[in-house]
Amino acid sequence: MDPNLERQIASASRSVEEARRVAYHDSTRIGALVEQISVLADLRQKEGDFRKAESLYREALYRAQEQRKPDPELLTGIHSLLAHLYDRWGRMDQACQFYEKALKIAEAGGIATSDKVATIKNNLAMIFKQLRDYQKAELYYQEALEIFQRTDGDQSARVASVFNNLGVLYYANMDVEHAQQMHEQALYIRQNLANDQMDSADLSQTYINLGAVYKASGDFQKAEACVDRAKKIRASMNGYHPNPRRAAALLIDKSL
Amino acid sequence: MREILSIHVGQCGNQIADRFWRLALREHGLTEAGTPKEGSSAAANTNMEVFFHKVRDGKYIPRAVLVDLEPGVIARIEGGDMAQLFDESSIVRKIPGAANNWARGYNVEGERVIDQIMNVIDSAVEKTKGLQGFLMTHSIGGGSGSGLGSLILERLRQAYPKKRIFTFSVAPSPLISDSAVEPYNAILTLQRILDNADAAVILDNEALFRIAKSKLQRSPNYMDLNQIIALIVSSVTASLRFPGKLNTDLSEFVTNLVPFPGNHFLTASFAPMRAPGQEGQMRTNFPDLARETFSQDNFTAAIDWQQGVYLAASALFRGDVKAKDVDENMATIRKSLNYASYMPSSGGLKLGYAETAPEGYASSGLALVNHTGIAAVFERLIAQFDIMFDNHAYTHWYENAGVSRDMMASARNNIANLAQSYRDAS
Repeated sequence: MDPNLERQIASASRSVEEARRVAYHDSTRIGALVEQISVLADLRQKEGDFRKAESLYREALYRAQEQRKPDPELLTGIHSLLAHLYDRWGRMDQACQFYEKALKIAEAGGIATSDKVATIKNNLAMIFKQLRDYQKAELYYQEALEIFQRTDGDQSARVASVFNNLGVLYYANMDVEHAQQMHEQALYIRQNLANDQMDSADLSQTYINLGAVYKASGDFQKAEACVDRAKKIRASMNGYHPNPRRAAALLIDKSL
Repeated sequence: MREILSIHVGQCGNQIADRFWRLALREHGLTEAGTPKEGSSAAANTNMEVFFHKVRDGKYIPRAVLVDLEPGVIARIEGGDMAQLFDESSIVRKIPGAANNWARGYNVEGERVIDQIMNVIDSAVEKTKGLQGFLMTHSIGGGSGSGLGSLILERLRQAYPKKRIFTFSVAPSPLISDSAVEPYNAILTLQRILDNADAAVILDNEALFRIAKSKLQRSPNYMDLNQIIALIVSSVTASLRFPGKLNTDLSEFVTNLVPFPGNHFLTASFAPMRAPGQEGQMRTNFPDLARETFSQDNFTAAIDWQQGVYLAASALFRGDVKAKDVDENMATIRKSLNYASYMPSSGGLKLGYAETAPEGYASSGLALVNHTGIAAVFERLIAQFDIMFDNHAYTHWYENAGVSRDMMASARNNIANLAQSYRDAS
């Protein structure tokens, strides 16, 4: 195991223990405990120990519910983290269940239009896509899109990502025409992003996806041009990716 | 190092913890706060690390996780002279209570608290170098120890499939009964012990009560019963904690005492049994000690001695005991034990030995045996179970908490089969 990660886990474990001791005497400090537990759970997940991560998130969940005034944002967050874990673990039905619970809590807590909720809806849609429930997937993507458009503005990276995801969904569903529209939208936004939001890997992925769509509709010239652009962008990155975790997420998209 | 993590669940489990840790502290020359006593020699020649975790300022913290759904007993431990002993991050206590209902401990309240318990156990395990296994103390008649204890056993087995799990399980008796539903709780728990534990020492309140009464010459209370249990728990692990000629560990026990899978329900006997305060005056000679160790009315389960046979037996002697005496006397004892016909008459008695006797004793003996007469305990519980179950008495409490009558019936049948398998092995 990565010695750096090992060190981080050991220190996070100690913090959790200390937080447990404090919370044992003073129930108002449960919030801090929950925070420490989530940190440790995230590290466990990185380590690949899903069982321990699950146990930790679930403890955080029940502890957060113990609080006198439950915090809907916190509860939504933990539900969504747990769902994300189940998603990575391949337990799709549990992932759906917890994402849907998170959405319910968010709605009841009056934070249904926050960007957190949009992320949950986007992730939930991805799961429904994997479960081949395309209608539900489309619905959740569109809801996520609406929220991101409101919170981030029309011309933003996250809006482009949802357009991209919708495009992949339509493509998987053999709806090439709609897929093309979505990817063109995504490309338009990504080309015009400010430098700090610009992500070459995302941009090249959009070109690849668009290329696939053009190829499917028989426009081989355009398809080739897109793939060339993607190759050039990749080459200029020298194999370096600023955010490997997100790159992995995109790979999952590509495979379907 | 071969550490052991103790898990104490429920009211009874924590009362045992209270007695047991007191005893362990004294055996290892520690004060009630976990610091070494001045001038104590015990610490020098013991493997403290088996039961204790040393922290920076020279203090020893028990490798123990205390769990209860009612705060009472743990609060008493924390309010008493051992207030500074346990690590607060490894105490889990919740308010609602399991209301004597296995199903509430297993499903309703258990669901909310099991992950916290597993996290606490995980972090205690991370502090060990070579954990050999877990000891759980609980009662199988109540709600928390039985229901939540069952859930912990299941999760423990999933999380640590290769570690040994030993339970010290207190079985209910109508002689001193807290509630009518004890047989239900006991049968449901026994099934989980059957499926998930490597060995279970059945401590039958009925037998404990009888032993305590005859030895103490007064009406015993739970404290007296728990003291006997604490002595047994401490003796089982003594040969690991103290130097001796024969070292046995949890794995060796299991190999020697469990001849058939599932037939891992043991019973124990401790000698010499004396009232607290009188131990010091007694110096028994070894033949008497050995005889009392294997005396039928000294065992902690109401065993059917007439119909049953020994499947396996082990003995652990502590303190001022000579190897020559052991050899001479154990041959006689071995001959007097009624072994199953297919068991080797020579090899059926495993011996262990440790130099340090429990505090106040010059020497002591422990027998840990697998006897087919334990079927009588299961049959007694099944009979009590059937009378109520056939009349649908109290089962709605279980159904309301997510345990169907089918689940209860299947647990009952599994334990009936277990009893039958013991009878068949006779």
